[in-house]
Amino acid sequence: MNNPSRLYRWMLLAASLVTIGYLVAAAVRENYLADWQTLQRAYRQQLQAKATDERGRELLKNFRIELKQVSVPALNTVDRCVSCHNGIDDPRMTDAPNPLRVHPGDIVKNHPVDRFGCTVCHHGQGPATNFHDAKADTNDVFWDYPLLRADLTQSSCLSCHDLERLPREQVALLREGMELYREKSCGSCHRIGGRGGSLSLALDNEGAKTRHELVMTNLQPPHTTPRWHLAHFSDPGGVIANTLMRNPTVTKRQALALTVYMLSLWQRDVPASYLSPDKIEEKARALHPAPLSGEQVYRQYCFGCHGDGTYGSWNKAFKRFIPAVRGPGLLAMATPEYLQTNIAKGRPGTQMPAWDAGGLQPAEVTAVVDYVRAAAPPPIPAGAPVARGDAKRGGVLFAQNCQGCHGMGGRAGMAPELANPTFQQAATDGFIVTTIQHGRTATAMPAFQNPAAPALTDAELGDLLAYIRSLGPQPAMQQARLERGQAGGTP
Amino acid sequence: MAMSAPREFVDNLRQLPHTVKDAWFRQGRLPESEREESQATFHNFFLHIHSVRVHVRTLSPWLTFGLGLMATASFLILTITGVLLMVYYKPSTALAYESIKDIHFVVSTGRFIRNIHRWSAHLMVVAVFLHMARVFFTGSYKQPREFNWLIGLALFAVTLGLSFTGYLLPWDQLAYWAITIGSNIANSPRELTDALGITKWLDPGGFQKHLLLGANYVGEDALIRFYVLHVFVLPLVLVILVSVHFWRIRKDGGLARPEDPMGGPAEWGGARRPVFEPLATKTYGLMALVKGTRATVNRGPENTVMSWPNLLWAEMAVFMVTVAVALILSYYFDAPLKELANPAIPENPAKAPWYFLGLQELVSYSAFVGGMVIPLVVLMGLALIPFLDRQLGGEGVWFGTAGEKRVAALSCGFGLLVAVGMLAFTVNFGWLRNWFPSIHQLWIIAINPGSVLVVLYAGWSLLVLKQTNSVRLGAVALFTCFLISFCVLTYFASVHRGPNWQFYWWPSQWPVH
Repeated sequence: MNNPSRLYRWMLLAASLVTIGYLVAAAVRENYLADWQTLQRAYRQQLQAKATDERGRELLKNFRIELKQVSVPALNTVDRCVSCHNGIDDPRMTDAPNPLRVHPGDIVKNHPVDRFGCTVCHHGQGPATNFHDAKADTNDVFWDYPLLRADLTQSSCLSCHDLERLPREQVALLREGMELYREKSCGSCHRIGGRGGSLSLALDNEGAKTRHELVMTNLQPPHTTPRWHLAHFSDPGGVIANTLMRNPTVTKRQALALTVYMLSLWQRDVPASYLSPDKIEEKARALHPAPLSGEQVYRQYCFGCHGDGTYGSWNKAFKRFIPAVRGPGLLAMATPEYLQTNIAKGRPGTQMPAWDAGGLQPAEVTAVVDYVRAAAPPPIPAGAPVARGDAKRGGVLFAQNCQGCHGMGGRAGMAPELANPTFQQAATDGFIVTTIQHGRTATAMPAFQNPAAPALTDAELGDLLAYIRSLGPQPAMQQARLERGQAGGTP
Repeated sequence: MAMSAPREFVDNLRQLPHTVKDAWFRQGRLPESEREESQATFHNFFLHIHSVRVHVRTLSPWLTFGLGLMATASFLILTITGVLLMVYYKPSTALAYESIKDIHFVVSTGRFIRNIHRWSAHLMVVAVFLHMARVFFTGSYKQPREFNWLIGLALFAVTLGLSFTGYLLPWDQLAYWAITIGSNIANSPRELTDALGITKWLDPGGFQKHLLLGANYVGEDALIRFYVLHVFVLPLVLVILVSVHFWRIRKDGGLARPEDPMGGPAEWGGARRPVFEPLATKTYGLMALVKGTRATVNRGPENTVMSWPNLLWAEMAVFMVTVAVALILSYYFDAPLKELANPAIPENPAKAPWYFLGLQELVSYSAFVGGMVIPLVVLMGLALIPFLDRQLGGEGVWFGTAGEKRVAALSCGFGLLVAVGMLAFTVNFGWLRNWFPSIHQLWIIAINPGSVLVVLYAGWSLLVLKQTNSVRLGAVALFTCFLISFCVLTYFASVHRGPNWQFYWWPSQWPVH
């Protein structure tokens, strides 16, 4: 029998050597070979080269190779970026190689590094002490807000500044993005500050979103929010399958501008002492916004779905007909009150939201009604009033003449929904009769009492009116619908 | 002739290096004879837990693989690195995550220390688990070691508890959502009480969850509870239990081994070694009465060697190998740290630590059965083994009794077939809820893939027991099935479960959120 501990002695020797080897390797790696140490050694040479005057020699004498950080409790940040960016606030370091050189431009004059830190504007992982982790823009680093590319950084300005008071050239992309948001009528579906449509998400805090809150399925890594926005503005359907969002047809620069604007939408909790005075004024102004003109309202909140409103169109995504709200056919008959009610109350059950809840002031609704009616043809004189006839006979007529487009029971189809409660409420009998008699110019709705070949008699018109009126919400029917809804478990 | 006091003082001062050295190293030199070796063992507080002599089988690497020692070594490493981490860690939701970031980026070699802590925790769980399997398959739990088997089970549970409580401390997304799952498992008796409609009056689930978290959600109170458990309560319990565990090994006669045949004095290295030479100047008395059928006066116990230095070499070797493995892993692979915990953004999939993933797979069928019933049944079953299998024989030998290897191999095949089959069936065809959407939850609690698995395994074990007419073989069948299903379920849940606990062939196919 061999010595029973022989094997163990060799094991002990081998394991001990491995242990010592790795301990030494780790100590060297962590304490001597870190990038920031190499960079600080290089920076000391820069300091030596520039130590020509009293102050320069003083700076050199005081320089220690150590981790450096800017801690800003008010902003809840600890930024160690200065461990590598050593010369960030030394104006002599204009010719030093990156990352040792001074911050470009004169921004750090007004934003001293020791008061603001770095990540409040640039994002990225402040606590990190190597570039890979600090950038945090790859999928293997877990940090909510990766470093912003230089051209995206202006999105941070809005946290403390009023856009209008910033130097134009420094926030060009941001301004362009905000204007594009209005021009592309994003507000038709999206809401910011309580103003806008309700068809899609509110964007008040869009910039605060992390990559985990966005659908990255169809995006190549790395998955960052700016990359998502860029891809999404270029092709929404390519990023989110079956999205309702139309392709905004933008250039690359425009997509970038919109991305900057999205990133700037961040309800950040910044201490008042960090806000510029104009930001405080802007916030106060935002509580009582000046009403927009009718044209502005139409462009920002209606254009997205109705286009310029001259022609109606079939929307595939909505599976619904979008009416020509500025078409001569409608305007020849619709009263301002009719339009006002439709805009303010919306069309429940369709994609048309109620704009009084969408943040439009009453004056703005009036203004947009005036704008829509600006090109109205002379109103068609109302004919002799037609009395409501027999709804049963009307139903037969409806099936023969109307159902093909307006759908069974007047709900859903290619043409507007006649059973809609807002329509039933806003439309007078005279409006319905006149529409049937004269049709709608420039739409598929024909005139049913063309003087040359009247299709319907006045009595039939009365029957039809009675039937259409019966489609509206009846108290009993509403009750039944409510109960059905509850039984089905939907609120 | 007495020295004068000043002389004596100066003289003592001069002698100081020698006297201090003698006080520390009382022997003065390395032990040379076996008598001195035995003194070295039992005159030292730390070494006297060893017996003076150990059986050579104890030192065989192929009997134990050093697994128990490895677990102890991991615990020592964890204690040392844990104390270092405690210096920097701040157990509050506002500061915990930042302090881990500081440990990672600023504390000198802090990242390395945290990595070692993480990897040693993995090593400890693995070692404890394999150690249990070793003890089972060598039949080492048998009389008189039943009690130590129970202590071992308690240690297994405490080890998992330590690892689990440590999971929350970094306060990142991984921690937050894993503990959210864990606390919902504690809450899962509600699945039963809700199904019976008695939650209003009797709510053990809610009580358990509240006990664990100190609130209805994972927050400050939960963090401090987990911290106290992790750094104080559980380590203390573990140290006490480990001490008892070691002490029982001594009291139960060392590691389990087959009876030695009567033999002569120990021989190794080709030479006959006198094992015990009485010292001429000393009288010897009867010190103890020991169990056994023969006296070994003036003749060494057969096949034993001195603990000093043989056992010490072995222990140090296992310890250093464990350290080396932990260091190598820690050098190359960082401990995970995700984004700051955010209750608004669930991790998807939120996965428990790997050793709980098998259970999480069962939890996905029924939280109550997978998270409470089956673990309890398994623990109960394991605890009962030494009391139901009382047939002696084969202790200390891998697959020591006749037919064990065959039964283990067959059960391995059966367990694999059933576990894989059950998973494949569930993935392809769904389960009761998919077929009868409005079925009462009690049905799901009673019949789900987890409970079916347990019933099939129990049936198989009883069949083996009846066919072979051996309780031991029945136990081998059940234990093998348990091991294999643990491995299969853990693998399956780690690799093939993605967002929303959907099946995917590879993680690379997961839709990214």
